Formats: sequence, structure tokens, C-alpha cells
Amino acid sequence: MRLQAKINVRFLVLMFLIFSVAGVVFYYMIGEVANRNVREMLESRRAYIILNLQKGSLLTDSFSSPDNSIFIRHMDQSRQYRIYSDTLAYDQAEKELIPFRKLTFTASSGNHHYKVVLLQSLLEMEDFRMLIFTFLGGLFLFVMTSLFLVNSWLFSKAWNPFLKSLSVLNSWNFSEGKSAHFDTTGIDEFDQLNDLLQNMMQKIRTDFVILKEFTENASHELQTPLAIIKSKLELILQDRSLSDEQHRQIQAAFESTIRLSKLNEALLLLSKIENQQFVGQKEIDFCQLVQSRIEYLSDLFDLKKIDVTVQIDSLVLFTMNPLLAEILINNLLSNALRHNHENGRIFVHAGYQEITISNTGKNQELDASGLFRRFAKQVSTGESNGLGLSIAFEICKANHILLSYHYTDGMHHFVLKQES
Amino acid sequence: MKILVIEDESALRETIISYLEGEGFLCEYAGSLESGNEKVCLYEYDCILVDIGLPDGSGLTLISKLKEFHPETGIIIISAKNSIDDKISGLDLGADDYLTKPFHLPELNSRIKSLLRRRKFEGKQAVVIENLTILPENRQVFVGNELLQLTKSEFDLLLFFTSNRGRVLSKESIAEHLWGDFADAADSFDFVYSHLKNLRRKLTEKAAKDYFQNVYGTGYVFMAE
Repeated sequence: MRLQAKINVRFLVLMFLIFSVAGVVFYYMIGEVANRNVREMLESRRAYIILNLQKGSLLTDSFSSPDNSIFIRHMDQSRQYRIYSDTLAYDQAEKELIPFRKLTFTASSGNHHYKVVLLQSLLEMEDFRMLIFTFLGGLFLFVMTSLFLVNSWLFSKAWNPFLKSLSVLNSWNFSEGKSAHFDTTGIDEFDQLNDLLQNMMQKIRTDFVILKEFTENASHELQTPLAIIKSKLELILQDRSLSDEQHRQIQAAFESTIRLSKLNEALLLLSKIENQQFVGQKEIDFCQLVQSRIEYLSDLFDLKKIDVTVQIDSLVLFTMNPLLAEILINNLLSNALRHNHENGRIFVHAGYQEITISNTGKNQELDASGLFRRFAKQVSTGESNGLGLSIAFEICKANHILLSYHYTDGMHHFVLKQES
Repeated sequence: MKILVIEDESALRETIISYLEGEGFLCEYAGSLESGNEKVCLYEYDCILVDIGLPDGSGLTLISKLKEFHPETGIIIISAKNSIDDKISGLDLGADDYLTKPFHLPELNSRIKSLLRRRKFEGKQAVVIENLTILPENRQVFVGNELLQLTKSEFDLLLFFTSNRGRVLSKESIAEHLWGDFADAADSFDFVYSHLKNLRRKLTEKAAKDYFQNVYGTGYVFMAE
């Protein structure tokens, strides 16, 4: 969810809650105020009536005001009370029952006792309350909408520099030489963030360069002595006067040196892939690549009497460095060859944006979790250094391709598929 | 044939020179870019082996210079940096070949010979060994006057052996010569053995003698008078 959407949702929910609570409180407050109003009105009428009754304009009979709001009745004995109550009464004008507040009290003047009933219609109050609520509702909507719009505008305005920094970061590739540039935003926090990012990127960049140099230097420094050992041993092996035993010893040393140098190369390759030092990506036709590699290695397949079938249903294009593509296919094919048995089969199938290399071999599913790990040798085959598949895996990872393994119908399948 | 070896590692340089001198080449050497430049300006060579990572600069600069003064000289880059950029820029500058350290000496030797064949004789020179005639350009082999049918690998194998006559060729160097990086892929030594068996059979069938000898545990030797 985008930050703005998240803030908007929270904002709306909060506003809704606040307005609801405020609405409820307001409702009761208005009710209370209206009640008091009515009470005061009734009380002032009561005072007026009592005053007038005491002044002497004595009534011997009952009295009803024309609008039915005052009833005065003469009473025989004196009793003292004052009661507020709510009642419904039929209203002529509205032609329906409407709520009234009723004040019943007694008043005395000399020996005359009266019971007075005062009625005050609550209809106006109800109307008033409705009016206020409609107004409030409208206000609520208006405030919400305007706050929402203002908020959104302010948000995009305030976060614009952040989004800019984000896009700079997105387009930045540390293996490319240029350093990223951030504009000054005028907002302290963002400027600080940008400064920090700039420094961090600078640091990453220098670290990367140092690492890259180290990798290359390590390669150079290790390969040179290895080259010397190897060539010296090769020269000694030329000497036909050596005894078989001496030959055997030197041959063993020679083989180990070769293994060591291959291992060194493979590890360097892995770190180079991980450091993304292979740039220069191209769209590569994998069908063609696989076919050309198979052709190049045809005699290896022939010698093991392996039947190689290629079925192409669809063009498969992956974008990557051409050398890496070749290493990837080489490793997968050599894996399919190495772990195959004589008279086995290799089947390559190109489907829609995926390519599967299947081979016969051990009649048992391999442990898929450990398969792509370094030095994960499932079967010890002398010449394998256990890095072939992890190199393939790293190449795929660096190029957004999924490399997966499954085992069906006695075939081991390795699938290359574009990450979605 | 005169060869200049520009390599700062004296131990490696010595072995290279020792192997190449055994092949009848006349070798000179330079241990730095400066002395390499000097030698290149003063003398003419048929082939130059140049290391890219020299202590006083990149061997790549020497290549462009050499192309200017002696364009006919063959150039092979030997480098510990298996970096594609170097390889591409080196070949772009006019180098003929690129070998990554550590390489097999027979491989270097066969590359030099192949380069010299291409440069000096436009590839038309035949390799003649007793009654065996090899035409590298046409990829043909004759026993006497009779054409021998060889597969691509068998032909490469034969040429590799004849380029390194009398040398012990290890299984490793043979496999690497035939399949490059793929050499350690599969049971390549068995494959070397089968290829060689087929090649020997084809040669002896046509009444060429069996030139190949086993060297215990190591590899094979191509022996000819």
C-alpha cells in the first residue's frame, strides 16, 4: 500500500471516529440545552402566572389558553407540587401527535388554590435539532473532503523530494561508475537523508571497487604461482628418465594443482557474479545457444552413447551477459552429462519462456534444497568441484531467472524460467 | 623462428622459454613493459607472448605500438586476469590469441605453431611426418596419398599431438585443448582415451605406424623420427 493511501485511510477512519464521538456528545449537549431552554421558559411562565394569580385577578373557574398551552384549574384543597413530565398531544396545525413538555404545579392566592398545567411543544426543538444535525453532517462532509484534498496536496508536496530520492536510488547501479546525485530539497530531514544516502552510496561504491580490485588481484596473485607450479610440473613430466613411481607422484601433484586452479577460478567467478561485475547484457536466444553447445560437445555425448533430443516449441529469450549465458548452459549440460549413465538420455525442451534440461541418471530424487549449495556433492565424481550448479544458480539469481529442480518419470529436470 | 616472451614472473618465463626452446624456437625475453618496448623497437620477432599485468604498465599498450611498427608479428596475450574486457580489448587491438594463466605448455606451443602457420604461410603449409601429411587449413590428413576420414575432435587431437611431437601430453591438457572449459565437465579422461583409441585405429588401419605411446599415469607421447 502506498504511504499516501495508508495515511488517507487512517485519516478517514480517525476523522470518522472523531466526528462520531463529537456527534454523539453534541447530540446530548443540544438535547440538554434545549431541555434547559424549555424548562426556563416554563419556569418563567410559571412565575408570571403565580404573580398574576397573586395580584388578585382571581379565577373561580378553570381557564384554558387558546393555544392549549396553559390550563388553570381551581382546586378545593391546598396541595404543593411541581412536576415535569413529557407527553404527547394532538396538534391541530400539524394534525398529528407531537411531543410536549409538561409542567404541572400548584399555586395559591389567599384561600384559592390552583392547579396549573403548562405545555410547551417540543416540535420546534426537534426541528432545531434536526437542522443542527443536517448542518453538522454537511459540515462534516465538507471538512472531510477539504481536509482530505488539502492533506493529499500537502503530502505530495512534502514527500515529493522523498519520491525523487527514491527514483534516484531505483535507477542507481553501484557497478556503474557514476555516483547518484540528489538535489537539495529545503527540508532538513530529507536533506539529511539524502546526505546520508549519498555517503552510503559513496561507501558502497568504494567498497565495491576495492572488492572488485581485490577479486582481480587475488585471481592474479594466486593464478601466477599456480601457473608456475603447473608449468614446472609439466616440464618435469616431460622427463622420460623418471621412474614410474616418481611419475606417479608428480602426476598427482600436477592434478591437484589443476584442481586448485580450477577451484580458484570457479570461486572467483562466483564472487564476480555475486558482485554483479558482468555487465553488457544482451537478449540471448537460448534455443540456439543450447543447440550450438550440444553440437560442440557432441562427441562427449556420443562417447557415453547418450541420446540427446532437443524439442523447441517456442523461442526462449533471456537477457544476460553472453559469457554468463554460455557458462550457465555449459554447467547445466555438463551436469546432465556427468551424472548420466551409459546409453542414457538428455532431453532439452523449450517452452514458453522456459527451458528444461532433463537427464537420466541415478534413479532417485536428489535433495533439491542442497543441490545448489556450494560444494554440495551428492555423488562423488572425481573431477567435479561441486560448484557447477551453484554457479548456474548464482547466474540465474543475478539475472532474474528461476532455476528449479524436480524429478519425474526417472528423469532429473532442471528448469530455467523467467522470474515473473 | 624468433619469439619474444614478455613476462615479469621469471620462474614462469623460464619454463615457457625452456619448453619453447625444446621445440626449436629462438627465444628472447623481457621482464618489464619498458624493456619489452625497447626490444620490440630494436628487433623483429615472428611471435610475441605478452603478459597484460606487467609491473610498469599494461601489456595492452605494447600491442597497439607493435601493430604500428611490425604488423606482421603474431601476438599472443597471456594473462592471469580472466577478464572479458581485457580479452576483448586485447583482440580488438590486434592480438591474435588470448591464453589465461595457468595454461598448459603444450597448449601454448600448439597455439604459437598454429598462429605462425596462419601468419607466415597463410595456413597453406602442410605438416609432414614420415608418410603422414596434415593440411591444417583444409582440415585434411593423408596417409601416403590416401585421405583419412577423421572426426573434428580426432583431427584436433592429431594436430595437437603433432605440434608437440616427442612431448608428454597429459590427459588434462588434451581434454582442455579439445573441450576448453568443458574439459572438467564430464569424465573427459575416458573420452580422451576413447578418442585416442579411435585415432590410433584409423591411423594403423591405413598402414601408418602407431606413433602414440602411453606414459604411465600421465598421458601420451607422439613419437616420430
